[in-house]
Amino acid sequence: MQQGKDDFLKLISENKGIIIKICNSYCNNKTDREDLAQEIIYTLWKGGKTFNSDFKFSTWMYRVALNVAISFYRVNKKLKNNISLTETDIEIEDKIFDATTSEENLNLLQQKIAALKELDKALIILYFEEKSYKEIAEIIGITETNVATKVSRIKERLKQDITNAKK
Amino acid sequence: MEDIELKNMWKAYEQKIDEAKILNLQSWAVNIKTFEYLQTHKAQSKLKSLSIFKRWAVVLGILWVVFLAVLAYGNHFLNPYFTISVIILMLFSIIAIAIYIKHILLIQQINYSESIIDVQKKLAELQSSTINGLRILWLQLPFYTTFFWSTKWMMSDIKFWLIAFPITLFFTLLAIWLYKNITLKNVNKKWLKILLGNKEWTSIIKAKEYMNEIEEFKRG
Repeated sequence: MQQGKDDFLKLISENKGIIIKICNSYCNNKTDREDLAQEIIYTLWKGGKTFNSDFKFSTWMYRVALNVAISFYRVNKKLKNNISLTETDIEIEDKIFDATTSEENLNLLQQKIAALKELDKALIILYFEEKSYKEIAEIIGITETNVATKVSRIKERLKQDITNAKK
Repeated sequence: MEDIELKNMWKAYEQKIDEAKILNLQSWAVNIKTFEYLQTHKAQSKLKSLSIFKRWAVVLGILWVVFLAVLAYGNHFLNPYFTISVIILMLFSIIAIAIYIKHILLIQQINYSESIIDVQKKLAELQSSTINGLRILWLQLPFYTTFFWSTKWMMSDIKFWLIAFPITLFFTLLAIWLYKNITLKNVNKKWLKILLGNKEWTSIIKAKEYMNEIEEFKRG
């Protein structure tokens, strides 16, 4: 049991970036993010037996984490909508970013991603994480052609929104 | 703006996360302490909470059915209207219990490691299916107005035909109308919002919108 726990924590630690990015993309405040992170880890631990070793651990983790995040997002949609933009400056950003163009770009990108629909958000996160269209299709449950079309559409929208915001 | 710029923005994000070692004891839940806390089951997923709520509802429903059975048996068919009404109410309660058991089984079947579309569709269906249970339950309404009927009353008192019978007729028509009109199609109607209560109505509306969104997403 202890060995299982250690292995699990090691895997989580190796793939922690996935959880952080998903929590940041789907939640705007610290409490929500922590709740979501807890729920993701709990679901991953409980669902460990559903992990199919034919898949990469990260692929399975993306499926579980995104499924939890999207469901969580739905429950907390009202709360999220009540948060003003100033409150969306998350603690992580305060700690890690200097007041540079890079910070502005990142904030902008995060804001624009946060404004996407849940499923579109999941898709673009996977794209940015350099998952192949085949893998994205497997995780989301749509065809590769559909993935390609949607990724292209969302990218265009993001580019346009970011360019407009910078003007 | 080029694709590569977008990707670079995301990569910079990853780099910053690594540099800052965000996943520390203070700021994130990903640590041993939290993990042990999770293992004590203090933290339950919302789905598990829903399942527990429905299990309790099933237990209470069974107790209610037992109570009704005792009532029906205790009456020994002395008044058939009372007994038949109670038996029908009992049957509706059994239907409600069956619906809740179906929901519990649906929750158990939800496996987060399946594709996102499949899981989210199941979750939305689970949410919206509460409306089907509700419309069936309204059908029992007239039987709450018939258990005190008696043949003697019908034969000897005009008040039965002037008051009791029209009330039952009214509730029968109302129940049929509600059964026909409590549907996902009508969920935007104001009367249904009042009937469902704001919280339940909001959840069903979201589920309906979400199912539409999923279908739209699948179409591309």
